[in-house]
Amino acid sequence: MSILRFLAKRLALSIFVLFGLSLLIFTISRVLPGDPVRMALGPRAPEWAVENMRAQMHLDKPLYAQYYYWLTAALHGDLGQSLFTRRPVMEDIKEFLPATCELALFAGIIMAIFGILLGAVSGRYSNTWIDNSVRVFSYIGVVTPSFVFAILFLLLFGYILRWFPTTGRLTAGIARPPVITGMVTLDALITGHFGALGNALWHMVLPAVSLALGGMAQEARITRSTISDNLRKDYIASAKGFGVPERLVTLKYLLKPSLIPTVSILGLDFASLLGNAFLVELIFNWPGFSRYGINAMLRKDLNAVAAVVMVLGVVFILVNILVDLIVAWLDPRIRLGAERGK
Amino acid sequence: MKRNLALLVVGLVLLLALGLTGWSDDSGVLRVTFAWPTYIDPAVGSDFSSSSSFVNLYDTLVYPDTNGDPLPHVATSWEASADGLTWTFHLRDDVTFHDGTPLTAEDVKFSMDRLTTIGEGYAFLFVGRVESTEVVDAYTVRFHLSQPFGPFLSTLYRLYILNKDLVEANIVKPGPYGDMGDYGKAYLVDHDAGSGPYMVKEFRVEEELDMIQNPNYWLPIDADAPKEVRFIGTTEPATIRTMMSRHELEISDQWQSQEALQALDGIDGVDIAAFSPGTEFYLMMNTRKPPTDDIHVRRAMAWATDYATVMEHIFPDAIQAKGPVPQNLPGADPTVFQFHRDLDKAREELAKSKYADELDKYPVEFHWIAEVPDEEKVALLFMANMADIGIDVKVVKVPWMSVVDEMAKEETSPNIVSVFDSSHYPEAGSLLESRYHSSSAATWEQNEWLLDETLDAMIEDSIATIDRAERFAKYSEIQQYIVDLCPTIFLFEQVEKHAYQAAYVEWPVANGVVNPVMGYNLAARFIKVHTDRQ
Repeated sequence: MSILRFLAKRLALSIFVLFGLSLLIFTISRVLPGDPVRMALGPRAPEWAVENMRAQMHLDKPLYAQYYYWLTAALHGDLGQSLFTRRPVMEDIKEFLPATCELALFAGIIMAIFGILLGAVSGRYSNTWIDNSVRVFSYIGVVTPSFVFAILFLLLFGYILRWFPTTGRLTAGIARPPVITGMVTLDALITGHFGALGNALWHMVLPAVSLALGGMAQEARITRSTISDNLRKDYIASAKGFGVPERLVTLKYLLKPSLIPTVSILGLDFASLLGNAFLVELIFNWPGFSRYGINAMLRKDLNAVAAVVMVLGVVFILVNILVDLIVAWLDPRIRLGAERGK
Repeated sequence: MKRNLALLVVGLVLLLALGLTGWSDDSGVLRVTFAWPTYIDPAVGSDFSSSSSFVNLYDTLVYPDTNGDPLPHVATSWEASADGLTWTFHLRDDVTFHDGTPLTAEDVKFSMDRLTTIGEGYAFLFVGRVESTEVVDAYTVRFHLSQPFGPFLSTLYRLYILNKDLVEANIVKPGPYGDMGDYGKAYLVDHDAGSGPYMVKEFRVEEELDMIQNPNYWLPIDADAPKEVRFIGTTEPATIRTMMSRHELEISDQWQSQEALQALDGIDGVDIAAFSPGTEFYLMMNTRKPPTDDIHVRRAMAWATDYATVMEHIFPDAIQAKGPVPQNLPGADPTVFQFHRDLDKAREELAKSKYADELDKYPVEFHWIAEVPDEEKVALLFMANMADIGIDVKVVKVPWMSVVDEMAKEETSPNIVSVFDSSHYPEAGSLLESRYHSSSAATWEQNEWLLDETLDAMIEDSIATIDRAERFAKYSEIQQYIVDLCPTIFLFEQVEKHAYQAAYVEWPVANGVVNPVMGYNLAARFIKVHTDRQ
């Protein structure tokens, strides 16, 4: 089976997964207690205004008909109107998703670079004081929720030391670069607004690091464990025996195959960042997708809830496929097996 | 490799340094945090943050003074017909919208028509009451009411005047309002169409509303009034505390806990402004469900409640309520009977009850709102208080959405629900109608299910009375009548608390100048930000 066939199969399966997910989230969001329209319009809105909005949203129809209307519109790119922002949900997603993607991207980069680096150093020097320090850090990182780091950093670097800004994506008064991707840093880079780029990066430091620490600790632990195991393998000993330079052994023969489990977990951790960033976004007043999603659920914003879950579903699927491809690149057994159709 | 890494690090440091130079000039800026969402379309929003933004972006025909009485604003004068069905307003001819268009009677009519057609936001104040709006001439407008409505002037604090031409130019068709398409709703999500002292600079929905001072405002604005106002959507205590300490926030939201307020008060230059916003905390008793259907049981519970402990330990600084209307609301009667904890009287009342010998068969269900944790303390205290007189109370934590569902039907409404509520226009009649008139029986504003025809008639008669003194006398009678029925335990009047930068911000409410109409205390043109002290 070639890589292309593998991809086609995965994408075809994904359609069924997304369909099931849409059915599930649509039903759950609509059977929860409380009248979403009444909540949105307030207790004193006249009944006819409430009925009008129900009719506009097809909430006066049976559940299966509502699903039909929603699905056909969604397939045409219309995810309906948000009851609370009063805008098309698609517009909300365009605004909030890039903010969280940007945050997750930076957190992901920090997570990957430092997680692997710490794990590699720890594994290479296992059972030394370096290894012990990294392990203690990893345990703390894994058991501490990211919002605790967020509050700690906010108070330490924002309140006491005042090194970093504590809210938003840009300092008020700094002109936002023209929107191309919606990610301020990337847009600033593309359009050459370097002042805005520096300012956006400066705003990014605390939330991205808060978000990254848990995953970073996780990657460090996994990398360390795999490297420790592989260090004892015969092929490493024989490479050393043949006089292959130490640096080449570490980077090519030890690190590369050791990254396979790390990359698998990294992908899932990265996708989870999109959904788990809620409290970090709340603390740093980051106008992100995760905060939007949680608010949508608290306010019973039906269309927004369905859209958020579907977008997260799509992201998880795409990241998983990407991870499979990276793992195939890292592990010749998988890559060659796929190409030979085994 | 090492060289590349060094270059990368140097580059990043340079970029961050470039970012540091991006500090904006924060002098003369007023920043306030709020619970979000905020709507800047006057036909959509009606909550605290939306109301506060309307007050800054739009003008109204009349403006409330600190007693809630109407002062001339865009309207210089007005008169009502003898039957109270026609109200005529004469407008100033020097008011212009933010784009320079003059404000005329056409704009007033358009704003009323738009509000009542859309039916959201503050439309409930006018729907069913305003039959039509007539443009008499460019600067005279007349409202025709379907029934006499005494507090009509007070409701006009909520008629924010929109620029008709601007909204019409931005209508999206087709839309749910026929020829009017979407009635400009999409445009007004993040634009204003007002004439107020501030105008929208940028509105990042779900994040922040930035407004700048209107340089052509028709009224003088103090030189120290903020040049820019930012409403920020966060109530996170650690964030608020950090922003306050860094002078990145001038006024905090009202949702900070007692502990958070104490911490904020400890920051140099920060004080706490406390004032009564006209919100009352009620224990609403279902008068149609045993045992709270018996007036003696209700009175016994009112006598057994420990009001002092609630105000000393659970909601410090709150004031014990006197009847159904907060005392700072025009038309409140300060002479109504007020209960206090007296167990002898409670037992005496209970002995008269038809349930006196079988109270164990009728436990009282007390539902408190899960989203307001302090309510649990009230519920548990109440349970202990009632145990003193032999009434078994079951305390149940219920999410707000479920409470609203429960209260929609008589049979599912619990014995007691604890709810905060406030008036919709600054007069006692507003609360009397929304809390006790039969029309509110299936809403969260009335768990009592009084369905009392006599009371309904008294309320309808009072709000139809045009003469203010006569109307207020009728409000008094109604308050006495309600207290006699004892359908509610009137626990306390809420005290709203905000931390603010007392060192450089002059906020009238901190000096006791409080406007009883929600949102008007954050009219930025009356707040001074002294940049020299900042």
